[in-house]
Amino acid sequence: MFDYVSFLQNLSNGLLIGGVYALIGVGLTLVFGVMKTINFAHGDFVVLGMYGAVLLYTLFGWDPYLSLVLAMPVAFFIGVAIQRVVLSRLVNAPPESSLLVTLGLALVIGNILLLTFGAEPKSVNTPYSSSTFSIGEISLSVILVLAGIATLVIIGGLYILLNRTELGRAIRATSENRLGAELVGINTRRIEAIVFGIGASLAVAAGVALIPLLFATPTFSGAIFTLKAFVVTVLGGLGNIGAAIAGGLLLGVVEVLGASYITSDYRDAYGLVVFLLVLLLRPEGLFGKTVNRV
Amino acid sequence: MNKHMIALLCIVIAGAFYPLLFPGYLSIAITLLLFVGWATAWDILGGWAGQVSLGHASFVGLGGYFVAVGATHHGLDPWWTIAMGMASAAALAFAWGKLTFKLTGPYFTLSTIAIAEIIRLISINEGWLTGGATGVFIFSLPEPFGVDLFARETNFYLALAFAALCIFTVISISRSKFGYQLRAVREDESSAMASGINPATIKLKAFMISAGLTALGGGIYAIFLSFLEPHFIFFLLLSVQIALTAIIGGRGTIWGPAAGAVLIIGSGEVFRTTFAEANMLIYGLLIMLVVIFMPRGIIGEPVRYLIRRTYAKRAQS
Amino acid sequence: MPSALRAKDITVKFGGVVAVNNVSIDVNQGEVLGLIGPNGAGKTTLFNALTGFVPLTAGRIHLADTDITTLPPYKRIRAGMGRTFQTERPFEELTLVENVLVAAFLKEPRRKQAERLAMQVLEQVGLADRYDQPALDLNLARRRRLELAKALAVKPKLLFLDEMMAGLNPPALREMIEFVRNLTSLNITIIMVEHIMEAIIELSNHVVVMAEGSVIAEGLPNEVIKNPKVVTAYLGED
Repeated sequence: MFDYVSFLQNLSNGLLIGGVYALIGVGLTLVFGVMKTINFAHGDFVVLGMYGAVLLYTLFGWDPYLSLVLAMPVAFFIGVAIQRVVLSRLVNAPPESSLLVTLGLALVIGNILLLTFGAEPKSVNTPYSSSTFSIGEISLSVILVLAGIATLVIIGGLYILLNRTELGRAIRATSENRLGAELVGINTRRIEAIVFGIGASLAVAAGVALIPLLFATPTFSGAIFTLKAFVVTVLGGLGNIGAAIAGGLLLGVVEVLGASYITSDYRDAYGLVVFLLVLLLRPEGLFGKTVNRV
Repeated sequence: MNKHMIALLCIVIAGAFYPLLFPGYLSIAITLLLFVGWATAWDILGGWAGQVSLGHASFVGLGGYFVAVGATHHGLDPWWTIAMGMASAAALAFAWGKLTFKLTGPYFTLSTIAIAEIIRLISINEGWLTGGATGVFIFSLPEPFGVDLFARETNFYLALAFAALCIFTVISISRSKFGYQLRAVREDESSAMASGINPATIKLKAFMISAGLTALGGGIYAIFLSFLEPHFIFFLLLSVQIALTAIIGGRGTIWGPAAGAVLIIGSGEVFRTTFAEANMLIYGLLIMLVVIFMPRGIIGEPVRYLIRRTYAKRAQS
Repeated sequence: MPSALRAKDITVKFGGVVAVNNVSIDVNQGEVLGLIGPNGAGKTTLFNALTGFVPLTAGRIHLADTDITTLPPYKRIRAGMGRTFQTERPFEELTLVENVLVAAFLKEPRRKQAERLAMQVLEQVGLADRYDQPALDLNLARRRRLELAKALAVKPKLLFLDEMMAGLNPPALREMIEFVRNLTSLNITIIMVEHIMEAIIELSNHVVVMAEGSVIAEGLPNEVIKNPKVVTAYLGED
C-alpha cells in the first residue's frame, strides 16, 4: 500500500525547500548568464545574509523578514562594490580565473565573518520558528511557507525587473549578446556591476529567509550553499532563470524523497549525484541551450 | 645532472640537519614539507596538465585511511598499506578521470568538488570501512630496524623524503617526452592532437601520478597525527588549501608549489595559527591578488620575465 | 599510382545546417590537390572532417588502404596525416624547438633523436637560428613556418595545408610556394585550401571547387578558373 499522505508530505516539504534553493540558484545563474562568471562566493553571500539577520535581531530585535527590507539593498551595494573593485579586472582572463578569484573572495568573506562572530553556530529564534499548520493531513512548517512566499515575491519582482523595465531589457541583451548590446549603446560594464549586485542581494535574501530555520556557521555552510546553488543552476542550465527555478524545486524534491525512501544519511549526496549525472550526460542542463562539450 | 636536481640534493642534505638544529620546531616543518609535497603533486595535474582539481583531499584521506585502518583494524604494516593506498588512489584517479575529463575547465573543477564531497559522505557513513565519524586512532606501529615511527624526527625524515620525491618526479617529468606532451595538451588540445597526442591518455596519466603521490603524503600524515577523522581529512578545505598553495606559488613550474607552501605555512606561523581563520583569510586575499595581478604565480611570473628578457638580449647581440 | 586518400560521400551537418554536402575526393600519392571556393563554402569544415576534428554525418574515408572514418584525430596523425591550422596554434609557452619537439616525439620516442629531428625540420623551414626563442613573440611569416614545421615533424605522408599563403608579402609568398613544391618532390601528398590563386595554379595537379557545401567543379587548375560556374560562385550573380 503506497502511503500517499506521507508521499505528499515529503513532496510538499521538498517543494518548499526547493523554493529556497531556487532563490539561491537564481542569483548565481543570473550572474553567470551576464558575466560568464562562476561565482564561488555565492553561498557565502547567503551566509552573510544570515549573519546580517542575526545582527539586526540581536541589536534591534528585528524579525528576519523585516530585515529583508534593509538587507537586500545593502547587499546590492556590497555586490556592486565587489564587482567594480575586483571582478572587473578579470575581463580578459581565462574562465577559471573567475572561479579562483571568487573562491578567494569566499574565503575572505567567510573568515571575516568567523573573526567577527566567532565559530559558534548562530540562529534567530522567532516565536513561530517551529510552528506548523495543516492542510488536510499534511503539516507544513510556517517558516518554510513564509520562505516560499518570500521567494515567490522576490522572484516575481525579478521577473518584472527583467521583462518590463529598460534595465531588464539591457540586462537580457547583455546576457544574450554582449557585443551586440555594446553596439546599441548599452554600458555593459555598468550592467555587470548591477547584475552582480542583484545576485548578491538575492543570495542575502535567501539567507535571511533561512535563518529562523537553520544555524549559520561562518565558513562551512558557505561552501554547502554554494554547492547547492551550483547543483541548481547546472540542473536548470547555467544562465536560464526559469530553469534554475525548476532546478531548485527538483533538487529539493530529490533530497527529501531520497532521504525518506532510501536513506537520510546521504541526503546531501543525492543532489550531488544528480548534479554529476547532468554534468556528464547533459551539460546544457535539463532545459538549457548552452553546450560546453569538448 | 641538471641544476634543479643539484638544488634538490643540496636542500635535502641541508634538511637532514634540521632536526638537530631546531628540535623544537619539528611539527611546523613536517606540515610544511607535507604541503610542499602535496602542492607539487597536485600541480602535476593542475599546473602541468592544466586541470584544476578541488578534490585532492580525497587522495590524502585514502592514503591516510589505508594506513590507519590497516594498522588498527587489520594489523598491517604501514609500508604495505601505504603502497595499497597509493595504488587505490591511482585506480580512483583513473576511474574519476575517465568519467570527467571530457568536461572543460570550470566544469571539471565543479565535478571534482562534487565527487570529493560524495567520498567524504561515504567515509562518514560507512563506519565498517573507516571507523565512521568518530575516526580512527593508530595505537601502535612496528619498529623497523628499531626506529620509532611515531617519533617526530622520524616523521620529519619521512616528510622530507616525500617532498623530495614529489619534486624529483616533477623535475624528471619536465625533461621527458611526457612533460612536453603535458604542456602541449595544457596549452592547446587541438594542436596537441595534430601532433599525434591523445589528450585523454596524457591527462589520465597525470591524474594517476598526482593521486598516488598525494596518497603517499596522506599515509605519512596519518602516522604524524596518529588519529584520523573523515570530516577533517576529506574536507573541501584541505583540497582548497592544496590547490591554492600551488596556484599562488606558480602552476606548471618546478619550484612554484614549494615556494607557495613556504610562503603560506610560513606566514601562518607568523600569525601563530596553522589552519585557522587568519590563515585562510590570507589564502583568500593572496589568491585574489595572484590571479588578478600575477597569474603565473609568485615564482612563475619572474621566471617568465627572465626567460623573455634573456632571449631579447641575446637576439640583439 | 597508389591512392593516398579516398573520401566518399562526405556529409557534415551541424544542427540544421548542412556544411558539407555529399563531397567525394580522390588524391593519388605525390599529388597536390587544391581546394578552393568562396568563404563559407565548407572547405575548412571538410578539412576538419577529413582530419577528424569534426564528426561526419555520413561518408567514408580511406587513408591509403586503411579505413580511418571512425578514428580520432591523433590516430589519423599517427597513421600518416599531418595538418596545419588556419589560425596558427603554436604552444606559446614553449620555445620554437620545443614546439617542434612535441610533434617530433611521435616518430622518435627517444629524446636525442627527437631533438635532432626537430632541429632538422627547423633548418628546413629556415627557423633554426631562432630555436630557443619563445614562440610567443613571432611575426606572421615565422609563425606560419613554425606551423609548417610542427606539421612536418610528424613525418606525414599526407599533409593538409590550411591557407598557408594568406597574408604573406610577395617575397614570403614566393618562398612558401617553392617550399611546398619541394615537399612534393619528397613524395608527400598535399591537400591545400587556398584563396591565393597564384599558389593554386602553380602547385596543384588537380583542383576541386566548393560552394555552399557542394563540389561545383573540378579539374586542371587552368580549366577550373575559367569555368563560369566558378566565376559566379566567387563574384556572385551580376
